[in-house]
Amino acid sequence: MREKTRRKGRVDAGKNRRGDAATRGRGEEERSYLVLSPRPRVPVSPRPFLICVIASVLLLSCTRERREFRQAPPGARTETLSQSDLHPGGYIPAVQTKNPAEENAPALSEGKRLYEWYNCSGCHSHGGGGIGPALMDNKWIYGSDPANVYETIVEGRPNGMPSFRGKIPDYQVWEIAGYVRSLSGLVRRDVAPVRDDHMRATEAPAETTPEHPKGTGVPKSAERPQ
Amino acid sequence: MTEKQKKSEKAFAPEVDERELHKLERTWEEPRGIMGFLMTTNHKTIAKRYIVTAFIFFLLGGMEAALMRLQLSRPGNNLLNPDLYNEIFSTHGTTMMFLFAVPIMEGIGLYFVPLMVGTRNVAFPRMNAFGYFIYLIGGLFLYTGFFLNVGPDAGWFAYVPLSGPEYSPGKRVDIWGQMITFTEIAALVGAVEIITTVFKQRVPGMSLNRIPLFVWTQVVTSFMIIFAMPAVMLASQMLPADRLISTHFFNPAEGGDALLWQHLFWFFGHPEVYIIFIPALGFISSIIATFTRRAVFGYTAMVLSLIATGFIGFGLWVHHMFATPLPQLGQSFFTGASMMISIPSGVQVFCWIATLWSGKIHMKTPLIFVLGFFAIFTIGGLSGVMLASVPLDLQVHDTYFVVAHFHYVLIGGAVFPLFGAIYYWFPKWTGKMLGERAGRWHFWLFFIGFNLTFFPMHWLGLKGMPRRVYTYLPEMGWSYGNLAASIGAGVMALAVLVFLVNVLKSLRVGEVAGDNPWGAETLEWSVSSPPPVYNFFYLPTVNGRNPLWSQMEETPVVVGLSTECREVLVTNILDAEPEHRYELPGPSIWPFLLALAVGETFTVGIFTPWGFPVGAALSTLALFGWFWSKPKSEGVRALEKPKTRSLDEARLSEEGA
Repeated sequence: MREKTRRKGRVDAGKNRRGDAATRGRGEEERSYLVLSPRPRVPVSPRPFLICVIASVLLLSCTRERREFRQAPPGARTETLSQSDLHPGGYIPAVQTKNPAEENAPALSEGKRLYEWYNCSGCHSHGGGGIGPALMDNKWIYGSDPANVYETIVEGRPNGMPSFRGKIPDYQVWEIAGYVRSLSGLVRRDVAPVRDDHMRATEAPAETTPEHPKGTGVPKSAERPQ
Repeated sequence: MTEKQKKSEKAFAPEVDERELHKLERTWEEPRGIMGFLMTTNHKTIAKRYIVTAFIFFLLGGMEAALMRLQLSRPGNNLLNPDLYNEIFSTHGTTMMFLFAVPIMEGIGLYFVPLMVGTRNVAFPRMNAFGYFIYLIGGLFLYTGFFLNVGPDAGWFAYVPLSGPEYSPGKRVDIWGQMITFTEIAALVGAVEIITTVFKQRVPGMSLNRIPLFVWTQVVTSFMIIFAMPAVMLASQMLPADRLISTHFFNPAEGGDALLWQHLFWFFGHPEVYIIFIPALGFISSIIATFTRRAVFGYTAMVLSLIATGFIGFGLWVHHMFATPLPQLGQSFFTGASMMISIPSGVQVFCWIATLWSGKIHMKTPLIFVLGFFAIFTIGGLSGVMLASVPLDLQVHDTYFVVAHFHYVLIGGAVFPLFGAIYYWFPKWTGKMLGERAGRWHFWLFFIGFNLTFFPMHWLGLKGMPRRVYTYLPEMGWSYGNLAASIGAGVMALAVLVFLVNVLKSLRVGEVAGDNPWGAETLEWSVSSPPPVYNFFYLPTVNGRNPLWSQMEETPVVVGLSTECREVLVTNILDAEPEHRYELPGPSIWPFLLALAVGETFTVGIFTPWGFPVGAALSTLALFGWFWSKPKSEGVRALEKPKTRSLDEARLSEEGA
């Protein structure tokens, strides 16, 4: 029976594409349905599931990659740690101890560039230290919190660290502070900047290790304050 | 025509044993439900997924283009900020090249190559499933990133040092790089399948010189993929390595080379253009043969031109780098090669014109799109010859002139034939015809909108408007050109909307198509629309280049393939002589699991290096599972040759040409 209709259908399709084909097409669909799927097809589509997954992912926002284009003007200053407990008038300023730049990869990358531009590397080198203390170790003379680093840059510290108050816009100080903390791995890995396109900052090869004058050692004045 | 068709009907409908048919349907049946969705290895199902997914990405990429045009419609516009604009144009280019153009061409190939060469499934069907899932994961990864503000922002070719660790902080470029890796794996997988299917699974009688032109284009494309993609996969691993673990591949200060990126990328990137364009040539050949009612003129010249294009396509990549300090002599060489490639393209265009000239033209929507291709691709080709010369290229490098040129060649060369192909093959995919009237509206809106959008860009480029700027000043004198382009983009969007409505309407209430509504010649039209899951009950044999037109009453068919396992006929490369029967593997969940494992490797790997060892372990497990599950019976039955009725006769009968 089935075979007959099938062959008939084929001849029809050959003769008349428009008219008979219509009836034939439907008929064939039914037949193939009967043959191919004796049990009813479960109408489960993975699409709604997929849409739900995508939608739930989209609900999470991501600030790691946001680029800021309008920053606060230079001169503004964030109140962080205060140098003294004494305040006139009983007013206690809001204390910001969280660095907004530390969650943002472009800001840290910018901090890295500014670290060169403001010549931080002149004393601290690329984190290994020179005239100033090393920044990539876990020793912190004045504290490792973002606010401490911020204060160090803005206010300066005894024994050589100058104050950059009024010289670096506030948001850039935060960017540099974030970068400085990233040098010793205090910042999330997926935010911290990686290498730059210059010579790699490594220790000098063994054959060119500078030799200190014999017998003297490191002079007292070159030792870092602890 | 009808007579011919009747003949073919008879030739392909010999006595069908009811019980055997039932068994065959059972054997090739696809599993159901969500698990079935993930397990299927049917090439038609997977190819349809490729096509639909790629088209969704086309719509997304189109929306991004519309946003850009909206932003540029007037000077000093504030709709998009510069950062978002960077992300949008990078995602637009990446989407269109990697997530739309290559996969949709390969999807159409994976659908029709087995049907055109007369086999039941592609070679390596599980790998086919794996390829699709990898592609999907790559696409979802990119768009998840894009919607989370981690979309790529360094352009679709991500030049270093801009895309390097110093100037592209964050994960944006890493996501881009890994997405490239995903899509290239998928493309390579598809290419291997297509080559193997065409070389080893053709029906008896389809010797190399009788392969349909469409299939030839797919073969040439697949070879190009195999040679081009490894370069970019290498690059797309080296760039994240530079960015994530501080290697120095692209850092000149430490002995790396920034130009290395450009070489690796364009060694892939220029063949990529042909990987997109050559399948479109196959669509055009199919459409022209069908709607002129004659075989395409100059088969040998056409095939040789395709192969020549495939070769010369690899000798052009430096013309993307004329603005870099390369030696003059090298630049001259690539100028010469760039001009030379217009010869094989020209040969093909003249062959088509000769076919049209001498054929009986049926002006249907697919053919109209092909004619649109001629107009637009010629303009794009001419600006291409201009850009091939170094001095002019230096003047207009990175301006809208280049933007105009490559949209003319890519939309003209690929998207117009693609729309033609969709109108042409939609009846085969769905069993319904697409609306002819809406098709014409679609064509004219798209054609006019396209030219309105991209023609002014030539002029903008010569006026000095650089590409990838998010806005411009009113004093630049670019306002009217940009406004025209933006209006054109709106018209194009309207055209695509017309197309979508046409598709949805035709799916529901479209005219029912028969097996062969256009009276075409290739084997896919000999089966029902949509084709049965096993493709052919009896594998046909062919006796010429236009099987359905030259089919005789007594044309033999192949019998003796098992109906109880997924058997295909393996034939030899040159003459398609039957060699043995081979059992293809059936549905399996392991390709999906392996895709997840590979997906885990490359997505988690950019956040923590632990992604790689974990991914390697998971992949190993998945591969164990994959290879553990063997087919029920033995794979190869070399001793027992399949019986073909009067096969010798078929072999002896020479074709007319």
